[in-house]
Amino acid sequence: MKRDRPSLFAALTVGVLVNVLLRSQSGYWPRAGAAAALVCVPLLAAVGWLFARAWDLGENPLLRCLFAALLVYTSALELLRFWHLARRLYPGAVSLAGVCLMTLLPVIYLRRVSAISQTAHVVLCLLGLATAFMLLTVLPRLHITNLQVVALTGRDYAAACREQLTMYPEYLLPALWPERGNRSFRPLYKLAAMAIWFDVGVHFMLELFYGAALPLRVDPIHAAARCGALSVFNRLESLQLILWVMAITLKLALYLYAMRRLLKPEGKKDTAVSLGSFPLYFSGILLLCAFLRKVDIDIAMQARSAVTWGFVALAGIGGAAAWLCRSVKRCC
Amino acid sequence: MKTGKLGGSLQQKLQVLQRIFGTSGDFYTKELAVAGIPCAIVMFTGISSPEKLCHLALDMLDRDPVLFGGSQGLCDYLLTQSRIPAEPNPIEDWTTLVEMLSNGMSVLLIDGCDQAVAFSTQEMPQRSVGTPSGEGNMRGSQEAFTELLRNNISLLRRQFRSGTLVAEIATARTRAKTEYCLCYDSALAPQQLVETLRERLAQIELPVLLDSAYFASFLKQDKMNLFPATAYTERPATACARLCEGKAVVLVSGCPYAMVVPSFFAEHFECLDDYASGAVFAGLIRLLKYVAFLLAVFGPGLYVMAVSFAPEVIPFRLLTKLAQAEVSTPLPPMLEMLGVTLLLEIVREAGLRAPQSISHTVSLVGALIIGETAVSAGIISVPVLTMAAAATIATLAVPSLYEQSILFRFAVILLSGLFGVMGLACAALVILAMACGSEPFGYDYLYPLMPLSRATWRDGFVRNIWSALASSGEVIGSDET
Repeated sequence: MKRDRPSLFAALTVGVLVNVLLRSQSGYWPRAGAAAALVCVPLLAAVGWLFARAWDLGENPLLRCLFAALLVYTSALELLRFWHLARRLYPGAVSLAGVCLMTLLPVIYLRRVSAISQTAHVVLCLLGLATAFMLLTVLPRLHITNLQVVALTGRDYAAACREQLTMYPEYLLPALWPERGNRSFRPLYKLAAMAIWFDVGVHFMLELFYGAALPLRVDPIHAAARCGALSVFNRLESLQLILWVMAITLKLALYLYAMRRLLKPEGKKDTAVSLGSFPLYFSGILLLCAFLRKVDIDIAMQARSAVTWGFVALAGIGGAAAWLCRSVKRCC
Repeated sequence: MKTGKLGGSLQQKLQVLQRIFGTSGDFYTKELAVAGIPCAIVMFTGISSPEKLCHLALDMLDRDPVLFGGSQGLCDYLLTQSRIPAEPNPIEDWTTLVEMLSNGMSVLLIDGCDQAVAFSTQEMPQRSVGTPSGEGNMRGSQEAFTELLRNNISLLRRQFRSGTLVAEIATARTRAKTEYCLCYDSALAPQQLVETLRERLAQIELPVLLDSAYFASFLKQDKMNLFPATAYTERPATACARLCEGKAVVLVSGCPYAMVVPSFFAEHFECLDDYASGAVFAGLIRLLKYVAFLLAVFGPGLYVMAVSFAPEVIPFRLLTKLAQAEVSTPLPPMLEMLGVTLLLEIVREAGLRAPQSISHTVSLVGALIIGETAVSAGIISVPVLTMAAAATIATLAVPSLYEQSILFRFAVILLSGLFGVMGLACAALVILAMACGSEPFGYDYLYPLMPLSRATWRDGFVRNIWSALASSGEVIGSDET
């Protein structure tokens, strides 16, 4: 009940799970995804762990600025992705300014680590409940006969790997948290496993629902939610917006806290973002969203993943170089 | 005011006191001689009793045949040897003397002695121990705190008969020198909590301290957060239960409410009856209270959002009725709901502040006449009125969160009316983040509700049976998970 150092694992989990739920198109066949997950889970966790070690060894102001820029860019993309999704599902209901305002406003109250941590637990519970609820409503429409039996090709496996190896900043953020020294591989493995197996599970349900039409459907999860068989509840699907707003705001708050740790490394013991930095943050994100509003969001997300991989490689090279220098110095 | 050490001469001391209190009608002085030594008794007659003083000290002094050995000898005799129940420490300066007199003590000034002796002869007019007016309970103790600090401490000690109960009395940094008392169980309360609380209370500087709630704002970590870091009770039994959980209780002189620190969200949904009735029924009632809180905060906003932006969430037949009702009113649902909610708050405030003889009339006029007339005139619709009334009644199910419920309700109505589902989501998240971000003294405000654990079902959303509760007494502590 009293924590000196609240865990942000729940917030990271919400961040990776919401990526699955807000996807606009299915990525792969579940069988290929399950096989790829066996490789991708340990691989992603290992990359996250190596990044954390490399960050400890070779962090420098340039890397910190690059990471902060990546987080700002990702924050804007998350808002834009949500806006695109909301616009597709509820045309005319939301404007970009409305989305930005309503999503960024609660971040003020999520400026403390404890607030992020506790809110993430609540949102995670709600997310679990909503997913179970949605499954319940579509249960009568899931048919075993929809499962595809055609043999999978190398392309299918490659597509699943490519999709699952999308590098989200959530895998890198633990490197910035204060608990250096006792950093272990296990939480990262757990995070990657939860994200990827949840994704595979959702794809499995979608295959049961759509069958061969799975790759063709746009916004398959939301389309499935709208077809809920329980007549009382399928009207409530617009309320899922509430949950998305919560999850995305939590993501933004997490990124903001990470940015604060990156840009003000001298105050690493502080567990809150100061109120003074909010005007700059709000105006910066709003401007960036306005600037990027016409970009193709799927391409931008893929490019972001590629840039993140590049950044991981850069940090890895920096860390390796720093480690080498230290080893050489020690030998001399 | 005069400060510094008391002088030796009795006349000089009396002159100083005359200068300070001379114009006060209740200031009483009487010069007398004890064993041939000139002395004087000083007191305030309204709060101290001369008769009590005679019984306690003066009669006994007359019978004591001892030669005291001068002024200092008399003082030492009274303090250390005599059977007279004088206060153990002598008064040596003017500040303490004035404080003692203001506390209702009688003070014996001795000629040629730079110390004075105080006798506890307080006799203050006071309200007798009554029943709680704002915390309705059917079972358990029906005693309530009163305005007198010492009485409140004794009420607490009578409930908490353990040597580990500590009651630290201190004087607040106010102009009126109001006393407060920090109570805690030295075996259960975390030392860090007690030390921090003691330190913060000592630092608080206020022009006046009339209620324990004045301290609350100073004990909050995030001033922008609307959830309280402290809770209040007028029941010694509830305060005792909180002490058993390792929490601290602050009593303020003149205030019949004890402040409990730290306070958690779940506590607002608990009451003494929960533990006196069966676990299943208590659990049901507790869940109902959570639902009532959600209805109070989100009900009107949800209605506005559904009617204005997402009519598909409303079943068709109900939607038809709502549409018929809304068509006949000139205002949009948001303004209608805001108007009705405001009016209900005005009626409540008027009923509360008006003299008791006309408060019923105010309620009657407000609720029946204005409500009925507004509906008949087509200014507001019946569904809006029904929802607003339901939310107002639901607010009263959790009275300790009344302020928060009202403020949140207005925010939810505004945001939902302006931005629809997104506004509702924003409001819900702000409220959730406030609750999650409130860290009274570093403790999770949502404990034991979140993160979900065994404690959540033991005494959180519902209550477990007593045999299970008794085996694991809940005490606040640290958790580094």
